[in-house]
Amino acid sequence: MEISLPETCSAAAVAGLWRSALPAVARLGRGDTLELDAGAVGSCGGAGEALIVELYRRSARQGFDIACRDGRGVVARTLELFAVGNFAEDPAMTHPPRKTATAVQVGEAVVGIWQTICEQMAFLGEATVATATLLFRPRRLRLRDTLLHFERAGIDALPITLLIGFLFGLIVAFMAAATMRQFGVEVYVADLISIGLFRELGALITAIILAGRSGSAFAAEIGTMKVNEEVDALETLGLPPVTFLALPRVFAATLAMPLLTIFAIGAGLLGGAVVMAALGLPSTVYWNRIIKATTLNNVLLGLFKAAVFGLLVGLVGCAQGLQTGRTADAVGRAATAAVVGSLVLITIFDGLFAVLFHVLGI
Amino acid sequence: MREVVITVRDVDAGYTTPVIRGISFDVYAGEIFVILGGSGCGKSTLLKHMIGLNPPLAGEIRLMGDRLFGVPQEERLRALRHFGVTYQSGALFGSMTLLENVCVPLDSFTDLPREARYLVAEMKLELVGLKEYADYFPSDISGGMRKRAAIARAMALDPRILFLDEPSAGLDPVTSAELDRLILHLRDTQGVTVVMVTHELASIFAIADRCVMLDKQEQRLIATGSPAELRDHSELPAVRAFFNREAKNPS
Ligand SMILES: Nc1ncnc2c1ncn2[C@@H]1O[C@H](COP(=O)(O)OP(=O)(O)O)[C@@H](O)[C@H]1O
Ligand SMILES: [Mg+2]
Repeated sequence: MEISLPETCSAAAVAGLWRSALPAVARLGRGDTLELDAGAVGSCGGAGEALIVELYRRSARQGFDIACRDGRGVVARTLELFAVGNFAEDPAMTHPPRKTATAVQVGEAVVGIWQTICEQMAFLGEATVATATLLFRPRRLRLRDTLLHFERAGIDALPITLLIGFLFGLIVAFMAAATMRQFGVEVYVADLISIGLFRELGALITAIILAGRSGSAFAAEIGTMKVNEEVDALETLGLPPVTFLALPRVFAATLAMPLLTIFAIGAGLLGGAVVMAALGLPSTVYWNRIIKATTLNNVLLGLFKAAVFGLLVGLVGCAQGLQTGRTADAVGRAATAAVVGSLVLITIFDGLFAVLFHVLGI
Repeated sequence: MREVVITVRDVDAGYTTPVIRGISFDVYAGEIFVILGGSGCGKSTLLKHMIGLNPPLAGEIRLMGDRLFGVPQEERLRALRHFGVTYQSGALFGSMTLLENVCVPLDSFTDLPREARYLVAEMKLELVGLKEYADYFPSDISGGMRKRAAIARAMALDPRILFLDEPSAGLDPVTSAELDRLILHLRDTQGVTVVMVTHELASIFAIADRCVMLDKQEQRLIATGSPAELRDHSELPAVRAFFNREAKNPS
């Protein structure tokens, strides 16, 4: 059979040849001769060179001969540049796409989860030790950083927290009122809103906002520093990254959460008031009911939970940041893991608190 | 008459205000052309104009006759295909092996079958001496190897021009000399025209055919010529100081 190479052996020109001619070449064997006409070739790119190497290595493997017309020495030059023996294997076989068996994937996932748990525990330990150290040497706390992160995680989050709190109160009040009205007890919507927001939902929605806004930011900031070897730099300067990077953020999140929660609850109550006013209930009645329904217990419970949720978001975000790998996509994964991890932990702790408070009777 | 592959005409280089003004020069086919000058004088800025990242503030740049700015999309795409670039940091994709890195342009711009793309990529890695490392990740190889892998990726589509921004930055002299040898090898075997930014004197004398020198104070191109001409025959103190490694204001 015969193959003639085009004048310009670019990828575009060679692609067709590769598909049309090579299957026939695969059928050649000992005693056959392949006539390779490279006489016209003026310029030969990587794809043309690859085709030449491919033909010669198949000739070596299958035992056919190549009669080459090589007017301008392109083939000779290619074979001189690339030792055909070097490329003896099928490249698709030598570099298989990185695929792993399902069983292996499951195993790796389980090991991965276990490792994550261990790493989180180690981080928690470090953070605890660092906090304890701070109790003795409070000046080592990075106060300016803490304030900065408090501003970013807390004050900057006020608008969105107020908006979502307000809408939340509005929606819950509206849905509850629609039902309660049928029984003529829409005044109890106030009780529902008060207990719901103070005890449960205020802290929860604020925590979700914090996880999305700040948990991810913590992980991304610290993760990028890790990729840029800034975390290593801190370490070698004798500044433990946990004290330097994590604690200010964790403290800021823990402090910001109860305050944000108060604002979220306030906005939620306002949302309820708007609905009640729309339904024609005098606002004094509504606020009176709210004051009656709100117990100090519920308020403190809600704020306590808020602080714990803030602590969780801060810890998870910083832990994920410090455990980031060395690549750009690792930063993205750390941010995602920070949000998902925080939400899971918040839910678990919320459940635990519900059981605990029930048992304690508060 | 030698074939001109790059023309730079009256270019003002800069971001919002010009860093250097009125640059003009030609680059001929198959030469190794060096842009040199002190730190911060605008070498990278000029290079960014040449590779189409930022438009020049004034003037015109043509690669093989094609322009990158103010032209229809086809002309810009054609111009983009004339060259490959390696960036100062290497800019390899960290989540891919070296082979996959080199395959990226092949996957996107050719319709070669998969085994052919792999073979081409393998051969490009062979060209830079990294075939044995095809399945390594960029984070697992040395800085010099990363530079070479980046060159292999830049060469994947057989460009006529190769732009290199400070290829020897951060490399030891031996590795840097190996890189010089590789650049020469590529020029000689692939016929590629090389435009590189560097202030590595050893590299300039080893491989540069011609250079242009930019000056930060005067904000313009102050000298053009072969390295030996600039060293031995330039009247300008700034040029002589650079080539003889003198401090400008000896104290
Ligand atoms: N993205 C940018 N935006 C504005 N100015 C820049 C930017 N990058 C660099 N510069 C300025 O342009 C000048 C030239 O920089 P550059 O071209 O990077 O120098 P070098 O010759 O060392 O490569 C410097 O003064 C620098 O401050
Ligand atoms: Mg630069």
